Amino acid sequence: MNTVKKSGVGQAIDRVEGHLKVTGKAKYASEFPVENKVYAQGINSTIAKGEIVSIDTSEAEKLDGVLKVITYKNAEKLKTFDKEMTAIGTDSIAPVLQSNKVNYYGEYVGLVVAETFEQAQYAARLVKFEYKKDPSAVIKFEESRSKAYTPDNGSNYSRGDMQKGLSEADVVVEQTYNTPIEHHHPMELHAIIASWENGKVMAYASQQMVDDATIAISSTFQIPKKDVRVVSAFVGGGFGSKLNLERHAIMAVMAAKMVGRPVQVTVTRTQMFTNTGMRQQNEQKMRIGAKNDGMLTALSHETLSHTSTNMEYQEPCGMVSKMLYKVPHNEVTYKLIPMNIQTPFAMRAPGEATGSFALESAMDEMAWKLKMDPIDFRIKNDTQTDLHENRPFSSRLLVECLRIGADKFGWKDRKMEPGTNKKGNWLIGYGVSAASRNSPYQRTYSKVILDLEDDGKVHATIQMDGTDIGTGSYTIIAQTASEYLKIPVEQVSVELGDSNFPVTPGSGGSWGAASYCNGARAACENAVKGLKDNRNIPQDENVALAELLKRNQIKTFEAEGMAEPSKEFEEYSVFSFGANFCEVWVDKDTGMYRIKRMVNVGSAGKILNPKTAYGQIIGGLTMGAGMVIAEKTQVEPNFGNFITRSFADYHVPVNLDLANIDVVFLPEEDKIANKMGIKGIGELGITSVAASIANAIFNATGKRMRDLPITPEKLIEAEVEEGVAIS
Amino acid sequence: MRPFTYTSAINKEQALKATTKTSHYLAGGTNLVDLMKEDVERPDQLIDVNKLEYKKITKNDNGGLSLGAMLSNSETANHPDIRKQYPLLSMAMLSAATAQIRNMASNGGNLLQRTRCPYFFETSMPCNKRQPGSGCGALNGMNSLHAIFGYSDSCIATNPSDMCVALAALGAKVELEQPGGSSRMIEFTDFHRLPGDKPEKDTNLEEGELITGIHLSEPVFADHYYYLKIRERSSYAFALISVAAGLQVKSGTITKAGLAMGGVAHKPWKLYGSEEFLKGKKPNQSNFEEAAEIAMKDAKPFEANKWKVDMGKKAIVRALTQAFEREV
Repeated sequence: MNTVKKSGVGQAIDRVEGHLKVTGKAKYASEFPVENKVYAQGINSTIAKGEIVSIDTSEAEKLDGVLKVITYKNAEKLKTFDKEMTAIGTDSIAPVLQSNKVNYYGEYVGLVVAETFEQAQYAARLVKFEYKKDPSAVIKFEESRSKAYTPDNGSNYSRGDMQKGLSEADVVVEQTYNTPIEHHHPMELHAIIASWENGKVMAYASQQMVDDATIAISSTFQIPKKDVRVVSAFVGGGFGSKLNLERHAIMAVMAAKMVGRPVQVTVTRTQMFTNTGMRQQNEQKMRIGAKNDGMLTALSHETLSHTSTNMEYQEPCGMVSKMLYKVPHNEVTYKLIPMNIQTPFAMRAPGEATGSFALESAMDEMAWKLKMDPIDFRIKNDTQTDLHENRPFSSRLLVECLRIGADKFGWKDRKMEPGTNKKGNWLIGYGVSAASRNSPYQRTYSKVILDLEDDGKVHATIQMDGTDIGTGSYTIIAQTASEYLKIPVEQVSVELGDSNFPVTPGSGGSWGAASYCNGARAACENAVKGLKDNRNIPQDENVALAELLKRNQIKTFEAEGMAEPSKEFEEYSVFSFGANFCEVWVDKDTGMYRIKRMVNVGSAGKILNPKTAYGQIIGGLTMGAGMVIAEKTQVEPNFGNFITRSFADYHVPVNLDLANIDVVFLPEEDKIANKMGIKGIGELGITSVAASIANAIFNATGKRMRDLPITPEKLIEAEVEEGVAIS
Repeated sequence: MRPFTYTSAINKEQALKATTKTSHYLAGGTNLVDLMKEDVERPDQLIDVNKLEYKKITKNDNGGLSLGAMLSNSETANHPDIRKQYPLLSMAMLSAATAQIRNMASNGGNLLQRTRCPYFFETSMPCNKRQPGSGCGALNGMNSLHAIFGYSDSCIATNPSDMCVALAALGAKVELEQPGGSSRMIEFTDFHRLPGDKPEKDTNLEEGELITGIHLSEPVFADHYYYLKIRERSSYAFALISVAAGLQVKSGTITKAGLAMGGVAHKPWKLYGSEEFLKGKKPNQSNFEEAAEIAMKDAKPFEANKWKVDMGKKAIVRALTQAFEREV
């Protein structure tokens, strides 16, 4: 059974689907060969608010190859939202092209269907829209504060008495932190090929959650769910933007019905800004109170964000502030400004990625004021109880993450006084931050099919509708089957992303690995159990899988499995924890800086495959670094459009921006989380990275950078913090 | 993309003959094709000049080297003679774009890069450069990345090239072939225009003219040079501010200075006053600071790009310091 040990859970095997990807054989949504397919191009509004007064489609319709121009005038009437203001859900109804109203710049106002992609693109430019602009469009965040409302979704929270906590404090930090609009921008553009046959819909679509996409199509077009099939075999990244079935997909399904042919819609990179969600701008006001000895007395986290004028989305920025530290008096509030900008939506670690920037920056400010080492300060306020939910953590190794990371990073060499570590034109700084991310786990169904091959080996096929969004789901599910069936991973096939397969919660919220693997485990365990029960073989008797099939005198066997959180799971708070360390070199004159080293230590339960887990963390660190270096989407103040409209304008980090990255996983046994002890990792990596870099910049320069991104011009213009003696 | 016809010319005569009022020459295409996809450039004919012979580096009569217009940016920047005699040019060119883009981009095409102003790129917004008479969206809009020198009410865009900043510091002439069969030379500093009331014209190229070569002045800055590019990320980002600095130092005195800035004007911004000031001075901190003051004294920033003045001064001092201290 040596082979099993090499390919089972915990082994750093290569991705099982890697070869398919590098040879181009892995099929992404827009690559499925569908006969008779045509192409459609969405048309975007060029005003932020108002009405379409007239549409001239004549020029476009005259072009060769153009089959249909669809606007609100001839679009199929779709099921609408139940109420005016609808909280956005991943399986929501998604009507589009239903009225002449325009709610934001870039909203879809039409679709051109043509024989070729080029014809559709060209024709889309020739459709003329005349608008009546509504001057009341809300596009300036700063000037629209008075329009903010408190969302009625139960997110506001308090414990203790904030005023009392502040009055007990010896030192108070009160600061505001700003993060801009950011975009998900997975490499693979959103895409769908949709077709109708006998009243049934078939869709190859790039989606994180297949079941929800199926429901969204069925409820928008009012057809039974069983008549919708969605396939997302490979997904080239999502980061949350592919949780929802976005409107291009609904337009494709509609167009396919109207022209009677399969329709492909691949959104453009510019439409990836305007039509597939975003992280909204956040203004986070932090108030922290502490005693001179470093004990926290009070912590409040007030977030002002924006949503669209017709839907509500609120990023839970204050989530981390409720549970990360032992603080008796705590308050978390939210306000939203309805704006004529598209509805924001969950982006990698919604709440934590941005909230931790505010919290972990403010914690660093407090440590500086207290003249305490920021690691000691955090350790002093550690808690093994989630004070928000008032229940214990299933496991929490934050202190270990900080201590081991400090050792690995060489934290002892950090100079407490900013601006004192210099080398030529460089100012050198060290920064630290703590990270946490909820590790949910959800009900998952899975199926295993066993086949005894002619060579005497058993081949297992695992099926579920879960997806691999670049994370390595195929590989870790195969490893799970290898582990529980005791066969090498080479004898396992994994089939994912098809709504014909058993239902899973899909990929999102860091629940994929725990859900998928436990689902696969349950199916494999049931298969072995079933085969043994059939022949009255005791469950504890060790019989190889091939032998079991032989004793059953069968060549093939199927079993299903279901895994879901235990009762015990509900009694604990289940989180992954981590610590980020970084060294930054800032040019004293030009404001340019280099992230020289990053060390990330995580406690994220059982690491299924160190290779794919490492990939998840460095991806997160990179995205976190992007938040600091340059990522920002800017809204034009007079027109309401995004002026960042391609990768030339929206600067994600390049290789040269990134440091030597060291990732460490602490061994952690957490059987409360789930039977396999798996915790989420997809979002842990991005959490609090931004704060660790900003804190390092402070340590280097004495400048407290509270607005992301931290660009050279901002750094040059910033003043050295009061109380910092820069020589 | 709008439909267009494509012609591949095998020699300059063919290329010049094919040109019309609405045609474009196609070299690397790294900027033009992008702009066509965005519907910003709408030529009805592309004349591919990639088969033309201008792909060599040769000696010219000024004692300098000449760059073929069709040679790629990569081949130019990495050419041993350029690295040896014009390391400033090499450094500037290698700081631009990405390796992949530099492999495609031609020297002639680099001179014709269009601005990265967001109002230019978005066809639903006003832009006098894209659509004369429609107004300048940036003037009262988002202009933190815009010009602080030489702009007009009709356009405040900047030129995005790195190579051209180095060329302005080094001194060069651009050779042009004309549709009538004649050719002409134009000083590099006269090649690009300030916007005035015709921002749609980036350069003084006349209709149908084809760039065939760039003739560099005698190489005098091979010992003391630096191209400082301040940008948001380490590659594939246009300069917030850039400075090309070349110094000729003899017996502890500056005998000649070449200085130009990028990211501040509609054209590569040659710092004539600072160059003149530095001549005959000692290469030291206070003279460099004075040169920076002179360079920026006529800057007219907008509220949103005031930082460019401060950053510009620091960048000039740093570039000069690095240029002087550079170990040869």
